[in-house]
Amino acid sequence: MASDIEMKRFLWKIFEKNRAEEKSIAWLRLKAEQTKNSSSNSTFFLAFSQASRFFKKDNLELSSEEKDQAKMLVPEFELSHWDLLQTARTYLLLHFQRAKDQWLDAVSQLFETGDLYEQQALYASLPLMPFPEELLSRAIDGCRTNMTLIFDAIALNNPFPGKYFPEANWNQLVLKSIFMQRPLYRIQKLDERRNPALADIASDFAHERWAAGRDVMPELWRLVVPFIKEKFVADLKKVLASNAQLEVEAGLLALYGCESEIAKQLLQGHNEVVMAIEYGEITWEKIGRDFQEKRA
Amino acid sequence: MYIDPHIHLVSRTTDDYEAMRKAGIVATIEPAFWLGQPRTEVGSFKDYFSTLVGWERFRASQFGIVHYCTMGLNSKEANNVALAEQVMELLPLFAGKEGVVAIGEIGYDDQTEAEDKFYRLQLELAKDVNLPVLIHTPHRDKKKGTTRSMDVAEEHQVDPGWVIVDHNNEETVKEVLDRGFWAAFTIYPHTKMGSERMVEIVKQYGPERIIVNSAADWGISDPLAVPKTAHLMRKMGIPEEYVRLTTYQNALTVFGLSGQMDENDWLKAPSIDQTKKLGGNSVLRGGQVPRVEGPADQVEN
Repeated sequence: MASDIEMKRFLWKIFEKNRAEEKSIAWLRLKAEQTKNSSSNSTFFLAFSQASRFFKKDNLELSSEEKDQAKMLVPEFELSHWDLLQTARTYLLLHFQRAKDQWLDAVSQLFETGDLYEQQALYASLPLMPFPEELLSRAIDGCRTNMTLIFDAIALNNPFPGKYFPEANWNQLVLKSIFMQRPLYRIQKLDERRNPALADIASDFAHERWAAGRDVMPELWRLVVPFIKEKFVADLKKVLASNAQLEVEAGLLALYGCESEIAKQLLQGHNEVVMAIEYGEITWEKIGRDFQEKRA
Repeated sequence: MYIDPHIHLVSRTTDDYEAMRKAGIVATIEPAFWLGQPRTEVGSFKDYFSTLVGWERFRASQFGIVHYCTMGLNSKEANNVALAEQVMELLPLFAGKEGVVAIGEIGYDDQTEAEDKFYRLQLELAKDVNLPVLIHTPHRDKKKGTTRSMDVAEEHQVDPGWVIVDHNNEETVKEVLDRGFWAAFTIYPHTKMGSERMVEIVKQYGPERIIVNSAADWGISDPLAVPKTAHLMRKMGIPEEYVRLTTYQNALTVFGLSGQMDENDWLKAPSIDQTKKLGGNSVLRGGQVPRVEGPADQVEN
């Protein structure tokens, strides 16, 4: 990981560009300085809460260079979905320095007393925090939330779970994302961390939905691709028979990714969609986006 | 559009939330209170306060209702002094949070020495963090308790224009208004006020600094008390502007002093999920249709 100093500098540049008000910038500079120099935690705690009085929840506007730069500072770090307020809170957090135990105690207190948006800021900044091994259980516990905003902060566009979650917890995170109908394409390392257990769980979940007469989220089929077997082929046949174009596209895209003869046979007769897949017009991201738009 | 500026939503069902939304309630304030039985550990308070700024706020948003709260140590539990002292240490952590619109509900229950001590400490806290104060007036010996609550607030130099005195009745309202405080009325089916009595009070005193709420909680109470009272006021010929002031604007004005409550919070609510298309950021003042989260945010469980 790049040094804290570089990350702080980077975030600071983003504030200046994102039209935060002059007085808010001045407040943040002062509070960051006080957070760094104060021996009492309450200086930091208060500033962390009160940031909402100075920064709005407007999405950051980032250039592609800035997005690249973020990834260079911390591998796969993404802040394109962040807002100004959480960026300010993260900036303060990076100025809070303590020995390991004191740091963990204080940050635990923040997690446990945080409001909706404070928790969002904390979980989204996990990849920037020191002591990832000690924070792992906190992150896993965070996934037990039913608050979409907080779950998203951990699960989506965040390199932490992909890097640190053990398989069982990883599978729970993906399954819960499906359950909560979150956009799977925004989960980092989704393809790399597919595994046979997860593919089975996903298929079982689809069967439960079917049994209840409900639709199955099309992105789910991405999970079975590397492990294609008889049961999944039967599932995908059913998906291809759907009336919903998006589901058919997802079924075909899954089959397209499989290296199996049956899959190739099933693709026949769907030339138009297969062409679109070949031209990169139908991707998992496109399917995920279309699904979320349809849902909203 | 209505605001219910006193309702304990942690005790209410999703049916209530749906009915409230349908009846036109756009925003609610949940004062920190007791839970029907005394807590015995400070951790219970911590988790309760966290719920008020976390889960309950999220739950309300699923029904298109903006949720605010007040933070405080209630008078009943102030009587467990050892615990109360620990709660006082906790309060500054929560008082500054987003959407905390007052210190409350605080004041007297049995009017004991301990209640008095923690009421005073919290008046000072309110001044420190620049928040209005929501006063709970006692059920028993109400008139004297109400007068005493105001005397002590004045003694601590809290501006009456920043103080809402709650649970008024015909006996207390005149003094509260005369002394420049805000007078809130709780419409309860069996105790406190009924809607009919409320109409008479607005007829007599007009709409200035008068606020209607439901204080609906875990007891027999009605989460639709505010819209129902508004309807009755209209039926009884109370001017529309009076209805608007007592069931919407006055609450917004006084709790808005916190800087934490703004009409735009419901008129142009930000989408929780930024990827979602919910019709852009247009200001919907013309039709006054609030833009809020829809059923797509409802969590299955």
